[in-house]
Amino acid sequence: MSQDRIDRIKNAVRTSRPGICTERALIWTRYFKNKENRKKHPSIQMAESLSDVLNKKSIKIYPDELIAGNFSSKRVGGSVFPELHGVVVMQDLFSFVKRETNPLEISKQEIWQLIKIIPFWLFRFLGFKAYRSKIDTFRFIADQLNARYYFINESGGIAHLAPDYEKLARVGTEGIILEVETLQEKVLENTEQWYFYESVKIIARGLARFGKRYSDLAFQMAEGESDPVRKQELLDISKVCERVPEKGAVTFREALQSIFLAQIAINLESLDNAISPGRMDNYLYPYYEKDLKSGALTREKAKELVSAFSIKMSEIVPVFSKLITKFHGGMFNGQVVTVGGIGRDGKDASNELSYIFLEVMDKLRMRQPNYHARIHKEAPGKYHDKIFEILSKGGNSPALYNDDVIVETLVRHGYDLPDARDYTAVGCVEPVCQGKSFSSTDAALFNVPIMLELALNQGRRFGSLLQAGPKTMAVSKMTSMGDVKQAFETQHGHFTERLIKDLQAIERANAAYHPTPLTSMLLDGCLENGFCSTSGGAVYNFSGIQCVGPVETGDALYAIDQAVFQDRKLTLPKLVGLLKQDLHDEKWRVYLRRLDKFGNDNEKVDDYTLYVLDTFTGNLNGRMNTRGGRYTTGLYSVTSHQYFGEVTGALPNGRRKGESLSAGIAPSNGQDRLGPTAMLSSVNRIDATNFANGLNLNVKWDSNTIRGETGRLALKNIFKTYFRRGGMQVQFNVFDPKTLLEARDNPDAYPNLLVRVSGYSAYFNDLTPEMKDEIIRRTYISV
Amino acid sequence: MNLEIEEKQATIFDIQRFSIHDGPGIRTTIFFKGCPLRCRWCQNPESHKSGIEVAFYKERCAFCFDCKDVCPEDAILESEDVRINFDHCSTCGQCVSACMNDALRLVGKRWNALTLLNEVLKDKDFFDDSEGGITLSGGEPTMYSAFLREFLPLVKKEGVHVNMETCGMFKWDNINSILPFLDLIFYDLKLMDSKMHQIYTGVDNIMIIENLSKLAVNFSNLQARMPVIPTINDTQDNIADTVRLLKKNNLETIHLLPYHNLGEAKLPGIKTDLEPLDLPTDNGVYLLSAKKLFENQGIYVI
Ligand code: SF4
Ligand code: SF4
Repeated sequence: MSQDRIDRIKNAVRTSRPGICTERALIWTRYFKNKENRKKHPSIQMAESLSDVLNKKSIKIYPDELIAGNFSSKRVGGSVFPELHGVVVMQDLFSFVKRETNPLEISKQEIWQLIKIIPFWLFRFLGFKAYRSKIDTFRFIADQLNARYYFINESGGIAHLAPDYEKLARVGTEGIILEVETLQEKVLENTEQWYFYESVKIIARGLARFGKRYSDLAFQMAEGESDPVRKQELLDISKVCERVPEKGAVTFREALQSIFLAQIAINLESLDNAISPGRMDNYLYPYYEKDLKSGALTREKAKELVSAFSIKMSEIVPVFSKLITKFHGGMFNGQVVTVGGIGRDGKDASNELSYIFLEVMDKLRMRQPNYHARIHKEAPGKYHDKIFEILSKGGNSPALYNDDVIVETLVRHGYDLPDARDYTAVGCVEPVCQGKSFSSTDAALFNVPIMLELALNQGRRFGSLLQAGPKTMAVSKMTSMGDVKQAFETQHGHFTERLIKDLQAIERANAAYHPTPLTSMLLDGCLENGFCSTSGGAVYNFSGIQCVGPVETGDALYAIDQAVFQDRKLTLPKLVGLLKQDLHDEKWRVYLRRLDKFGNDNEKVDDYTLYVLDTFTGNLNGRMNTRGGRYTTGLYSVTSHQYFGEVTGALPNGRRKGESLSAGIAPSNGQDRLGPTAMLSSVNRIDATNFANGLNLNVKWDSNTIRGETGRLALKNIFKTYFRRGGMQVQFNVFDPKTLLEARDNPDAYPNLLVRVSGYSAYFNDLTPEMKDEIIRRTYISV
Repeated sequence: MNLEIEEKQATIFDIQRFSIHDGPGIRTTIFFKGCPLRCRWCQNPESHKSGIEVAFYKERCAFCFDCKDVCPEDAILESEDVRINFDHCSTCGQCVSACMNDALRLVGKRWNALTLLNEVLKDKDFFDDSEGGITLSGGEPTMYSAFLREFLPLVKKEGVHVNMETCGMFKWDNINSILPFLDLIFYDLKLMDSKMHQIYTGVDNIMIIENLSKLAVNFSNLQARMPVIPTINDTQDNIADTVRLLKKNNLETIHLLPYHNLGEAKLPGIKTDLEPLDLPTDNGVYLLSAKKLFENQGIYVI
């Protein structure tokens, strides 16, 4: 393989400043401004407008490339979705270039083009259409813009899936159209199902045409190319794109190309988030094996193609407003590639491609895709060795997923066993079945500690007279932990109900106004049922709600128990008085901080975190979304723990107003004082199988600890125990603490420092100053 | 000199989980309090005395003097660097509870065999998966021979691997009685010249050298170690003498430890006569040259 070529492509992508592409927004708007189009069935509208985008957007093949396809008009760029969260995003139009976090390039002319379309969408975007009554609409939009209790991501679309790329590669759009035609014959014309099938045919053709455009472009470029080597490469690209994605792929390269073009198209359909190729080593292996046998491919050549594919995944960025960036920082699209794990038959499914993907990941160390490795008891020793070798060298990827626990979790929540075995994570950490789940895994994020704030002040925020939640017992009347818990549960229950009501309104709006025929075409169940994925057509239809800040809440409850009811150092009203003054009395703040915290293998303390988690999962238990799936709990926070921390008052665990909450299920900052074995023992007390939407445990090591053979072995063994005892997932940040401080003070010196934030990698420089500080502060585990 | 504490309880100043440099695998290291030596380079000077002590950490102190209000012995001083008048202090610990800033701490806690067993078993799963175990360190663990005779059989019954780190200054009976429960011994050698040994550690090395020879015969898994103290024990002569001793006892390897001056920062906060050595931390240079000297003479360095 030509490492030079890969280095050159990587460099071109790495040094391109991310920008905003207006093409999708403008083409989409043009389509909808046509009154005739607005009269069509929504499924037809979506299929036609997306086909329009694929047909009219600018296409490019960059120097050295072997896999063709561009997400946007910029080398690294993102699109605007005016009909979804676009109007909210566009409030930031003038600040994209200059903002400190994740700046995005956009020219004056492009800004102007976008401004001109705002009036059209102002009363047409999805959030606006969710509620019938105007009061509900404005309450909902105000809530979203000023999120305190929860934040709903679904108003930007659903996405979050691992499409059935195996099928696309195998049969091509041609095969899918054949299938749909047969199905369509069985339904009455002009019914919902008929329109759905019609829309799938439209977009299948649109996707096929998209390939042809690249074929033509490559052919033209070849004609003008003087270098004979590059000329041949371009002709090869032309030949490949002439066949795929329309026809079934015959070669490894065709399969990759077919998948990549679909990857672009799905990212342009609705929310460009967490569209995950998933188990690529698994479904690409037959192509690899066949090509290798026939001599059409070598291992090195395959590695080059995988590298070229992998780099292209970093050419997309999300266009988020400043507010959304606070929840989802780090230029992250959540495209996951998973390697290893068991197959549908329960046997180890790792193969040579697993190692190729791992090698490519280690070599490139780029922002995307988000590499995950599945681990299970029977995995070959050399597979484990490879992974821990990469991690102990300082790689932040892959994140590790424990098959033994995740498969059980999924089955418990309603998956068939073979489907559960065929899981891949999407986005951050959320397990879904490849090609079968339409799980809105990032439906919403819920701020748990603020429920305690409300519980300690009769349903009002500290310092506010507004009755935000139900009026619960006054602290002066509370005489036991039972009373405190009762008030907490009441507030929690109230806001869970409100969240579900809002979510369901948005779910219905997505189904009614923003069906996704392309997504549905690549999800098992939709074609058979004749329903779009937004209407529950897919086989599995979960919605994930993230429990953010459970550890702070648990620690805070323990602190109340200890300070008020055990040590009797404070009365509850006095404690709440201190909190309202933001713990300015240093003496009490230190006292509260010194009380035991989650993460130190202390059962009494850890039990409070377990209680908070039980309350959360209990509230969602048995609740169904409008697509017919269950609401499940996720224990990861992306970067929302930072944002929710900013808006949450002081807490009894000694945390001041505005300070960050802890990420996922990690102990609160610096509070795991007894080292990693104690920390993991606390985490192992959690029954991970309750968390069908995934769990994130972020462990940071300084590079000294895990250096060399001793370090590699310690790393491998400590997680052997963690997984054996029921740990679901773990990811690493490995670095010398000094590096981070230097990187913060001198960003230019470390342009490529990659850190893992919450299930995904981000460049350190892409994070907000607060997030940088948090990463630095977050517990260093060292000897 | 006191080499033995005839009690069924042990004073322990730290228990460190996830130790990965004190023997194989993932280990829990138990730091016993009390030591017959006073090495000038000691990294844990708080381990010297066998009793519980009060230590003061001045960076945390807020000068609120809540400690003074509660002290029954009037032992609190108002100076900036020193808080405790050790001559008056009875280590009752009241000031420690009163200090909200964590600037005063009790060093040392009494443990009986059963509670200590439960504590170390917390990481049993990690020991099992990594082929690790526990390491007895200190201070000098052999001083707690009476305690260990009760504790170690319990540990071994649970199938835990036991390593012991010792300075070699013990009565033979004290180690002989626990030998069946040990799987590995790290044996520290410092200086071969007895007079120098006296100067830098407070005792001569006759007993230490004698014990090494006995152990070499009676115990199969003995690992010699040496802290490399720049200019003090890394001389050609000292290393040559050490090599001779090792060879005489059929020991083929030595484990070298680099010198840190971290221990010196702890000196002002505790009651001690130890004076700082004023040597810079070894960034690896001294260790490397000592390594070469050993290897040139046929001793393998690990
Ligand atoms: S109570 Fe603590 S902080 Fe206050 S003077 Fe004493 S040692 Fe310092
Ligand atoms: S331990 Fe007791 S006697 Fe010693 S200084 Fe503190 S309060 Fe006074």
